[in-house]
Amino acid sequence: MENKLKQMAVLASDAIEKCNTINELMDVKALYLGKKSEFNAIMQDLKGLSDEEKPRIGKMVNEAKQAISALIEERKNHIDREKIDALLKEQTIDITLPGKKIAVGHKHILTKIIEEIEDIFVGLGYTIKEGPEVESDKYNFEMLNLPKDHPAREMQDSFYITEETLLRTHTSPVQVRSLLANTNQEPLKIICPGVVYRKDDDDQTHSHQFMQIEALVVDEKATLADLKGTLLLIAKKLFGENREIRLRPSYFPFTEPSVEVDVSCFKCNGVGCSMCKQTGWIEILGAGMVNNNVLKAAGYDTDKYQGFALGMGIERIAMLKYGIEDIRHLYMNDLRFNSQF
Amino acid sequence: MKVSINWLNQYFAEKLDPKDLVKKFNLMSQEVAGLEKLVDIDGLIIGHVKSAVKHPDADKLKVCMVDVGDEELQIICGAPNVDANQKVIVARSGVTLPGDFKIKKAKIRGIESNGMICSLAELGIQAFDSNELGIFVLGEDALPGEDPLKYLNLDDQVLELDLTANRADLLSLRGVAYDTAAMLNIIPSFHEPQVIRETTENPVSIFTQTKNCQVYYGQLIENITIKQSPYWLKSRLIASGIRPINNVVDITNYVMLEYGQPLHAFDYDKINSDRILVRDAMDQEEIITLDGEKRGLLKGDIVITDGERPIALAGVMGGLNTEIDASSRRVLLESAVFNSIKIRKTALRLNLKSESSSRFEKGIDARKTLEALNYASELLVRYADAIIVGKPSFFNTINPKKKTITLSMDKLIKVTGLKFEEDDVEKIFNRLRFDFKKKGDTFIVTIPSRRPMESYQDLIEEIVRIHGYNMIPLSIPVTPTQGGLNKKQKTKRLIRNFFVGKGFYETKTYSLVTEEMARKYDKETLPTIKILNPLTKEREYLRHSIIPSLINVLIYNKARKIEDVFIFETANTYFKNDEQEKLAFLLNGKSDYSLWQGLDKEIDFYHLKGVIEALLEQLKITNYSIRASLSPLPNLHPGISAELLFGEEVVGFFGRLHPEEEHRFGLKDVYVCELELKKLYESSEKQEMTYVEVSKYPPIERDLAIYVANEISAHEIIEVIKKTNKKLLNSVEIFDVYYDQNKENKKSIALRLEFLSYDRTLEAREVDEQISKIIVNLKKELNAELRS
Repeated sequence: MENKLKQMAVLASDAIEKCNTINELMDVKALYLGKKSEFNAIMQDLKGLSDEEKPRIGKMVNEAKQAISALIEERKNHIDREKIDALLKEQTIDITLPGKKIAVGHKHILTKIIEEIEDIFVGLGYTIKEGPEVESDKYNFEMLNLPKDHPAREMQDSFYITEETLLRTHTSPVQVRSLLANTNQEPLKIICPGVVYRKDDDDQTHSHQFMQIEALVVDEKATLADLKGTLLLIAKKLFGENREIRLRPSYFPFTEPSVEVDVSCFKCNGVGCSMCKQTGWIEILGAGMVNNNVLKAAGYDTDKYQGFALGMGIERIAMLKYGIEDIRHLYMNDLRFNSQF
Repeated sequence: MKVSINWLNQYFAEKLDPKDLVKKFNLMSQEVAGLEKLVDIDGLIIGHVKSAVKHPDADKLKVCMVDVGDEELQIICGAPNVDANQKVIVARSGVTLPGDFKIKKAKIRGIESNGMICSLAELGIQAFDSNELGIFVLGEDALPGEDPLKYLNLDDQVLELDLTANRADLLSLRGVAYDTAAMLNIIPSFHEPQVIRETTENPVSIFTQTKNCQVYYGQLIENITIKQSPYWLKSRLIASGIRPINNVVDITNYVMLEYGQPLHAFDYDKINSDRILVRDAMDQEEIITLDGEKRGLLKGDIVITDGERPIALAGVMGGLNTEIDASSRRVLLESAVFNSIKIRKTALRLNLKSESSSRFEKGIDARKTLEALNYASELLVRYADAIIVGKPSFFNTINPKKKTITLSMDKLIKVTGLKFEEDDVEKIFNRLRFDFKKKGDTFIVTIPSRRPMESYQDLIEEIVRIHGYNMIPLSIPVTPTQGGLNKKQKTKRLIRNFFVGKGFYETKTYSLVTEEMARKYDKETLPTIKILNPLTKEREYLRHSIIPSLINVLIYNKARKIEDVFIFETANTYFKNDEQEKLAFLLNGKSDYSLWQGLDKEIDFYHLKGVIEALLEQLKITNYSIRASLSPLPNLHPGISAELLFGEEVVGFFGRLHPEEEHRFGLKDVYVCELELKKLYESSEKQEMTYVEVSKYPPIERDLAIYVANEISAHEIIEVIKKTNKKLLNSVEIFDVYYDQNKENKKSIALRLEFLSYDRTLEAREVDEQISKIIVNLKKELNAELRS
């Protein structure tokens, strides 16, 4: 009987190995483990054995059945896996074919830089003010210490609409409007981004339309040192943490003292290169302490109030940051250009 | 302003370091545009022509033996004026002349030549002697082997300053010397003019009939000999960018450069009287200026007259009728100050900007008028054999009292944020040569006439720049304020982000356009705004709409084979007394496609409409309506365009370009939209964010297909359905539109209706009841027929 069991185990194992489908496997299972299987027959025969033999052979039968069950299970897994493998192989695609063209949009680089600068100033407690582009001579010039016939008006050749209205030449009239609107003379910390116009022929470095951002702080204690600290912060945020700044004397009618601000060259780190014309410094903006004539025109007592202002051209910042060689690219809207930002 | 370093050195005991000057000017005064050698040639040498004989094989060449100190060179020279015993300028082989012209040993017609005898033109300084016939011949005293540039005073460097409008003082060498002294903390010394005068009475009398001339001095000078100026004077003029002419003209220019005071010389024998009258010009008066042009004058111009006729356009240009010429013997030399605004206007109107008019425009030290005149007299005696006839005639309305400005230490520290010491400030004022008194910790500063100043802020600037901006500490404003974007600014960013998310590119186009473009896409055809002084016809009008600019962007990109153009822009548009901020966008080509999968449909009207609906959803605007335009814009397709409304108010339009417009630009299927941003901001701001719990119960869907007449719109069908059941109907979707060939003038519309309750599970029976009612109403109101 023992021999028969061993023989059956071998036969079952062979039969299982030969199964290639689940159905075949089920047939083999029925043959060896089903009700009419030979194992069952052997179990019937156990009755004829002695009481000592019964448990021993019974155990052997159970072990043989378990072994076969395990083999069947293993074969089943194998067949399932092969089936899935075949399916996966059949479903395999050429993943190198191109994906669907999902369009990706792009903000204009000037918008990006304006938003970047706005965010820096908002973090410093500034609010954003806007104003009209068609502006009165009064707000664009006269109240900014640029009376009619002032020679410095020539610095800003303008597009006139009537004798008294023009396209604003800077965003400074928004400062005037904000000073006037601030009737309680609360501390004022604002930035004014916007489109401005100068009567310049368009060429590589000039554009009759461009964008500016100006900042203005007026309170009882804003100092030149505060201006310098603010400028350094802006320079670092825009051009990198390692930047330094230097201030040079300049002249704007609406500020006194006035300065030009240079940032240490971010290409050569101040050593001198073609970008900074070997000086190690790049001019980025103009600034100064608000001229008392501007504050007085807006009704402020200059014994009490003082402040600073700064202004920069957005195109210049963009051109410097990304090495754009021609300002006209910024208004051409060649999508191959716009897509890079 | 071009500054000769040699000239500037003259005011100081020790020579200046030009490179250090550049650094100092940049950081403490004015931006330096450049520092260059006046003549940038190395290795020129003085030669003595020992002999010059005709070249055996060339008629026009001479073989010269030239002693250059350490050797004798054989040089072939083709100049007609070369001769033995001349002192000449020699460029030996190895020297490079302007234009990258390198001198090399060469054989000319068989004879060796070891260098070149130079003309001034070849050295790039022809202005030095405009009468030059060939090579330049130096004086007898020139020593062979020495540097000819040094001999001619041309061994100079030129410092060019970019001047700001507030530094008219630096339009003079003396002004530059004062600033140099302050920056370097050294002491300048200035020559006091010494005039030898004849004791005869000066017969000239000077009168004024205008407020526009503050001071006028006229000096009569006799016995003038017109000739060339000395080398040193010529070279300084050339260094300053002024062409030497003759001794009298050169001296007036030289004194102008030294003092910043323009002078003018009249030929006294051509003036018809002894009387000079300064007055405002009369309208329609005329003068022929030195350049031979007849100039029509206006009342705002100032003229110098001989009592009758104008003899000069004051401050701008002299009259041809009193011009100095080679035979002039008597000169009336003018030194005066005219109203800067008037001079500016006249020079601008007549396009006559000059060294002298620009100095009058920017302001002149009116206390140096006489001194400048005296210096010119001194030089004319020395270099034009002049005799000075008595004292100058004049009138002078300058207030002799000097202006003072007070500045307290408190104010200085409060403005700068730097704890200055009184001693620092005193030292700086001394360096600037500003006179001051002290009252406690307050400085009372007397403002020198050469540096006009208005307020203590100007003094602070002087103190800080001389002290150094690098000394100012770093801080940030201490007053606390709340920063942030307002609602409108946030909404604008949201809109931009929406379009970027939907695959659009943002553009920036010009506000100024052609007249034709400016008028387009404006339904009300409001008047456009024109620029009085445009640069070109292309940029003459302010636009009413962004769309024409977007179409140009499309054309530009199409020409470069960029086929899918999805662009948007937010910008102002301009109307009389009003600026409207608008959002415009344009779609053309394909979106979200995959060619190899056959997904390559061109976008259509419904894509455009979908973008608008999505934008409104993003902005939480729900109470809007869309309708076919009652009077479509002429450049839009009348059957494929619509308006967006909030209530009764039109917010904007959208649709396809008119086929004729498309054809004109060679375009196809261009969709555009333009909306007024203000209305979007306002409507978006009104929308509150609210919350409703989602239903716990399942919805029931029913599909419905009907035939209706072709002209019935989808909107009308949906309205009937919605009206029939307001409570349970959750949504209506159209999922098929089909034009059946067998049903004339009718279309089939298939709808999917979704019913939902928030308080119970719906039963099929009640939904079916609703469907029946809907079918009845559709039949009744739209004559719809159920498709079986």
